Amino acid sequence: MSDSAAVAVERLTKVFPVPFRRQSIVALRDLNLRVEPGEVYGLLGPNGSGKSTTLKIILGLVSPTGGSTKIFGRDSSLVESRQSVGFLPENPYFYKFLTGEETLRFFGKLCRLNAAQLNERVRELLELVGLTNARHQRLSTHSKGMLQRIGLAQALINDPKLVVLDEPTAGVDPAGSRDIRDLIVDLKQRGVTVLLSSHLLGQVQEICDRVGILAKGALVREGRLADLIAIENRSELVLENAPESLLNEIEKLAANSEARVVERRRSTTTLERLFLDATKE
Amino acid sequence: MIKRITAITANTLTELTRQKVFYVLLIFALVLISSSVFLARFSFQQEFQILKDVSLGAMSIFSSLLAILATARLIPQDIEDRTIYTILAKPIPRWEYLFGRLLGVLVLLAISIAVMALLFVSVFHAREQTVLNETTRQLSAAPQEQLRDALDAVRANALRHDVFFAVAAIFLKACVLAALTLFVSTFATTNLFTVFVMIAVYFIGHLQATAREFWLTQQSAGWLTKSLLAIVALIFPDLQAFNLADEVVAGAAIALAVFTKIGLLGIFYVVIYTLAATFAFYGKEL
Repeated sequence: MSDSAAVAVERLTKVFPVPFRRQSIVALRDLNLRVEPGEVYGLLGPNGSGKSTTLKIILGLVSPTGGSTKIFGRDSSLVESRQSVGFLPENPYFYKFLTGEETLRFFGKLCRLNAAQLNERVRELLELVGLTNARHQRLSTHSKGMLQRIGLAQALINDPKLVVLDEPTAGVDPAGSRDIRDLIVDLKQRGVTVLLSSHLLGQVQEICDRVGILAKGALVREGRLADLIAIENRSELVLENAPESLLNEIEKLAANSEARVVERRRSTTTLERLFLDATKE
Repeated sequence: MIKRITAITANTLTELTRQKVFYVLLIFALVLISSSVFLARFSFQQEFQILKDVSLGAMSIFSSLLAILATARLIPQDIEDRTIYTILAKPIPRWEYLFGRLLGVLVLLAISIAVMALLFVSVFHAREQTVLNETTRQLSAAPQEQLRDALDAVRANALRHDVFFAVAAIFLKACVLAALTLFVSTFATTNLFTVFVMIAVYFIGHLQATAREFWLTQQSAGWLTKSLLAIVALIFPDLQAFNLADEVVAGAAIALAVFTKIGLLGIFYVVIYTLAATFAFYGKEL
């Protein structure tokens, strides 16, 4: 069963010993998680809930105290399990002495791309993240948003089947954040599995198929987003150009039935959409 | 595997050569070697001796400093900047990353020592030619035999192939220090800690052979002293063993067997410390 999953986490426990003290910190306890191929899975939780530790264990950067993690059926402690995985850490820093193009070439070589593949892939990815014109600029001159985009490009250098993103839009302005979100949607359409952790609930709601909520190292909620946030006995009807009389009529109809109108208000846009429209050239 | 290690090695080399500290150290060493020409204006024997002494000493100190300073920051900086996450999240084993990093430093050391050695040999050759010309001019009226003896005396004090053994030993010592620095940096919490530990190791490594000799020849050296010395010898490399410069300065010949022994000792230390670094790094939580 677990072999078909893009990521399968079973009874994962991680305990960090505190040096010179008897007590230890339990970062994760008996965590079970499954990410199916092709879905976008959001891992939510407050600071210190164990999100980053979970991602690091999945990527083999930290060893678990108990339990197992698998990527496409392979134990994630094995180097081979990362063959088709891309990772963008939270607030990534790269080698500042390299240019954007050199950075992608370096990571491409680590993934054993040959010269022809490397040329093609670097060109494609710089275009995808909109950094073609800045390809020869050293990363020390890049803004946070540009660094994040280079980070995303390096995560995709080996054309991965699974992309792990730790707070992908942290510290990025709304326009950059929107670009990253569009990129994740694009990845999903191409069949790439995305596992991301985020604090930005609105964004997660917009792009994730399923979410898991971590608290104190345990999974407290998990499921399809639509199911988790749906209020079972309520429905919404959004109308455009509806006259006042029609709205009153609908309210009357509702009053004559068993239903109750909970709220009547004008539809609003989001602050993000307002910001993007206002700052658009 | 080779492609990945080469990529990390090349990247490390780029990183180190784009740092100012490397050039400051290298230029300082080169200036010292060049200026040693002006340090001596005595007999040519003394001049040649001082030139060898200062140059080989400068190469030894600067390559050791470079090995420690360049290696100390590599791993902790990658962890602090989180670049290590993006690298190790790729299908690359930890040992390849460590090995590539170390190899980058070793290539840098080889280039630096080669540049310093080239300058040293050039400066020495230039001085030797000057002395030969001066001798020929001064003894132009003297009998041929006297002139030949004088020129032979100058050539006898010139550089022999032994100097390359001394330079190679300096390189080996720097490699040992780099490998040990790499090991220390895998568990050190700061770069400064690594540098301080390595400076202490540098002095202990140079003094331990003398101390060992002194204590072991004492009748009073009991089992405790002997055990302690054995532990020190096991943990700290015997850096004095790599000092062939004294023989070269004194004009003594260095046997190939002696150099081979030093070469094997150097390789042994580098392998042991690299294995220890790999072992420590595999157990490290990132």
